[in-house]
Amino acid sequence: MSRIPKAQIWCVAKDEWRYWFRSKLAISVLIIGVLLTFSSVVVTAFKMHELSHDRQAMQHSSEETFMQQPDKHPHRMVHYGHYAFRTPSPLSMLDPGVDAYTGNSIFLEGHRQNSAMFAEQKQGTGLTKLGNLSPAFVVQILAPLLLILIGYSAISRERESQTLSFLLAQGTSISTIIMGKGLALLSVVFLIIFPLGLSGGFAVFQGESLLVVVSFLGAYTLYLSAWALLVLLFSTALSKNSASFTALTFVWILLCIAMPRIASTTAAISLPSAGKLETDFAVIAELRKLGDGHNSNDPAFAKLKQSLLQQYNVDSVEALPINFRGLVATISEAKLTEVLKQFSEVRMQQELQQTQISRNFGWLSPKVAIQALSMITAGTSIETHHRFIRETEELRFSFVQSLNQIQTEQLSYLDDLNRNNGEEAWKKARVSATNWQMIKGFNFIIDDASTRLSRSTHSFFQLFLWIAILLVLIKFAGRRAI
Amino acid sequence: MNGKKTNLTISPIRREWRFMLRQRYVVVLLLCSFLISAFAVITGLSEVSAQRQTIERLKQADNVDRIEAQAKYDDPGYLAYYSFHLTYSEPSNLAFAALGERDIYPWKHRIKMLALEGQIYESDAQNPELAQTGKMDFAFVISALSPLFLILLFHDLIANERTNGRHDFLVTTAKSSYALWGARAAVRFMAIFSCLLLPFYIGALVSGTTITNVLLVSLWCAIYFAFWTALSLYLGKKASSAPRIASGLIGLWALFAFVIPILGNLAINQNVHSPKGSDILLTQREAVNDAWDLPVKTTMDAFSVTHPDYSDYQKNEEGFDWAWYYAFQQVGDQVAAPLSIEYRDATFKKHQLAGYIAMLSPPMLILKLITSLAETDALAAYKYEQKIRDFHHSLRVFYYPWLFNPDAFDKTYLNRLPRFEHTQQNNPKL
Repeated sequence: MSRIPKAQIWCVAKDEWRYWFRSKLAISVLIIGVLLTFSSVVVTAFKMHELSHDRQAMQHSSEETFMQQPDKHPHRMVHYGHYAFRTPSPLSMLDPGVDAYTGNSIFLEGHRQNSAMFAEQKQGTGLTKLGNLSPAFVVQILAPLLLILIGYSAISRERESQTLSFLLAQGTSISTIIMGKGLALLSVVFLIIFPLGLSGGFAVFQGESLLVVVSFLGAYTLYLSAWALLVLLFSTALSKNSASFTALTFVWILLCIAMPRIASTTAAISLPSAGKLETDFAVIAELRKLGDGHNSNDPAFAKLKQSLLQQYNVDSVEALPINFRGLVATISEAKLTEVLKQFSEVRMQQELQQTQISRNFGWLSPKVAIQALSMITAGTSIETHHRFIRETEELRFSFVQSLNQIQTEQLSYLDDLNRNNGEEAWKKARVSATNWQMIKGFNFIIDDASTRLSRSTHSFFQLFLWIAILLVLIKFAGRRAI
Repeated sequence: MNGKKTNLTISPIRREWRFMLRQRYVVVLLLCSFLISAFAVITGLSEVSAQRQTIERLKQADNVDRIEAQAKYDDPGYLAYYSFHLTYSEPSNLAFAALGERDIYPWKHRIKMLALEGQIYESDAQNPELAQTGKMDFAFVISALSPLFLILLFHDLIANERTNGRHDFLVTTAKSSYALWGARAAVRFMAIFSCLLLPFYIGALVSGTTITNVLLVSLWCAIYFAFWTALSLYLGKKASSAPRIASGLIGLWALFAFVIPILGNLAINQNVHSPKGSDILLTQREAVNDAWDLPVKTTMDAFSVTHPDYSDYQKNEEGFDWAWYYAFQQVGDQVAAPLSIEYRDATFKKHQLAGYIAMLSPPMLILKLITSLAETDALAAYKYEQKIRDFHHSLRVFYYPWLFNPDAFDKTYLNRLPRFEHTQQNNPKL
């Protein structure tokens, strides 16, 4: 077809809307769909706002209590530890992603790398096992069902009531009819996306990059358009309403309900991850080789002692201008952190590979593609969580090391060594509380826009492929339908 | 194919069976349900076996680790400080069918004698992005997917004949409506039941599930399937357009599977308030860390409230002393206990209320029934947490006498060190 008859397409689309208004089912489904999306947007926005507020407050109070600690031995502050909280990203109000499944607070202390604690899901009711009221869930799973309910009979209805041949005989081409019906379905897609758009605008206002929000909304439009095309395809290819409906429902069950879980189960089974506990044993074995940082007489530090004595040209550690115990603590913490980092990097890479397996199922199901795309773009995917873990580890290392430095520079070796010899010595082995001010405000910032966008290209390709294939198939089905 | 005479003598069941197998979409549907169920069971079995193997490996590593630590130190204080203890919750023989909450709640944990509140919230959870999607286990197939299959199979049983124009003819020629629709429905019901449950039976055989559990699951599935079948047939009787009936049924399914549970979840979270987990940890940390600077008597007084046997203890040297150190660890737990108990109570209450909500939602109900039978639900996770607490308590009971009287300690006593497997015998109150 060389010329696209815009007026005719418009006419077909308008007629489809008229049919929906007359049919009680279609219009009620439409209203339910829009209301559901809207309420999920509102509820989730409030919830994430509250969480963000809570976590900021807790971060603040944790820092306050740290700085308010009295004079102490600096190593005591190493064990007193500090907290880091992850504040949710602006777009998490549309897709909370892994937020409820990962802990959001990490306790940071010396010589240890703790895992994130208090995942919200653990305190949940278990009722959201099948689905959650987040805009992401509603649009990813329920919206396609709405499109099916509204559109399954778009073409097959005309055929079943013999109006299709009538229309064709009047000179309306089949592609005009398909495009018109497609346009009508597309307008439904925009109706569903609209509340997301409002929320997205709010996210931009909160400092989210415009490009990210546009890409996020664009991805959902692509996803729902793919479903609209699927609906058109089945409606065109199958001759009966009931067949079209049954087939579409069946496809929906497979793509939306079954495939994501098949993907995650396959990923977990084909690449089992060892888990933190198991790697911890390997970590401990590795750490034993390093020597105990609490014990400056550990043979592991003999070489260090020797070189220091030479460097300062003195005979004993007592004569050194710095506190040897503090130095041992600094060096052993650095080595230990290196080991911990290696193991945690390996574990994160494993998790990422697992996730990749699961995401590859996006070639088989657009739902899997949009799920990954949505989380990545919103900054609520596993990559962002890993970033949180890496950043908190850096925070941990920097605060422990600055305390160790204080121990090295401000506390004499003898005072430190004799700290357990009576009340007086105990008091002497302390440094001033003003030192605790060094704790920096921790503010977790999610990955920048370009990183998130480049991560999401893979899933974009998946959606584009779906759409391309569906367009070809519809063209083919349309030709056969005449 | 057959002559008219044989057709008349053939039993209605056999006739319907053949009729069903000639409908392509029914066969595809049945095949798909079988494949999905088989996938769920196979991956479930493999997951459970992986968990068992992990526990075995951990047990060995844990033993080696503790023996090394015990060889290195002689003082009971150091021994307690450096000995970690593995705890775990082994998957049941039905767990393959319902992996439940095991990807969210930890099923393995390592603890030592320090304040428990600082350790027990550590989790060794699985990949969160996979957990967020959820697993395809048999319980999911039954609770969420099977209604959809049943709806697709049964909604047009009558409407289909009507649209094909055979309805009136069939009704008038059949002996009774039960002979016609009853046989047809029975055949389809048996077919989908076997397709979905056959993989489960094989899985149960492989993993040695008790016959009672197998029968119970079968019974619940049968009732659950009958519910959806009856609903589909009832609604399908009157309306004429098959898609209309099916959309109504799918609407009901969405109501039961999503709307009621989600609203219930919102309502419960609105009404049950629980302290923040991080508050427990902060409280505990403050208590433990402040104790270093507090007079020894303050700590020991608080300690002897729960352990009066050691009330006359005098810290015999200035500076550090293990008995005092572990006493303030325990006091840290005591200070955090009200919050911790409140936290657990809230979680338990939420679980209980969720049970009532599940009564209104058949998919949730059957999911809950199967996971609770498989001991993979939140309740099982709380029980495991309680077992860890009991075990930790028994460690304290073991070490305290030697911490307060280190001279009486002999390293051979380590043979009597409590083991996690026997926790309940050490401390019968659960």
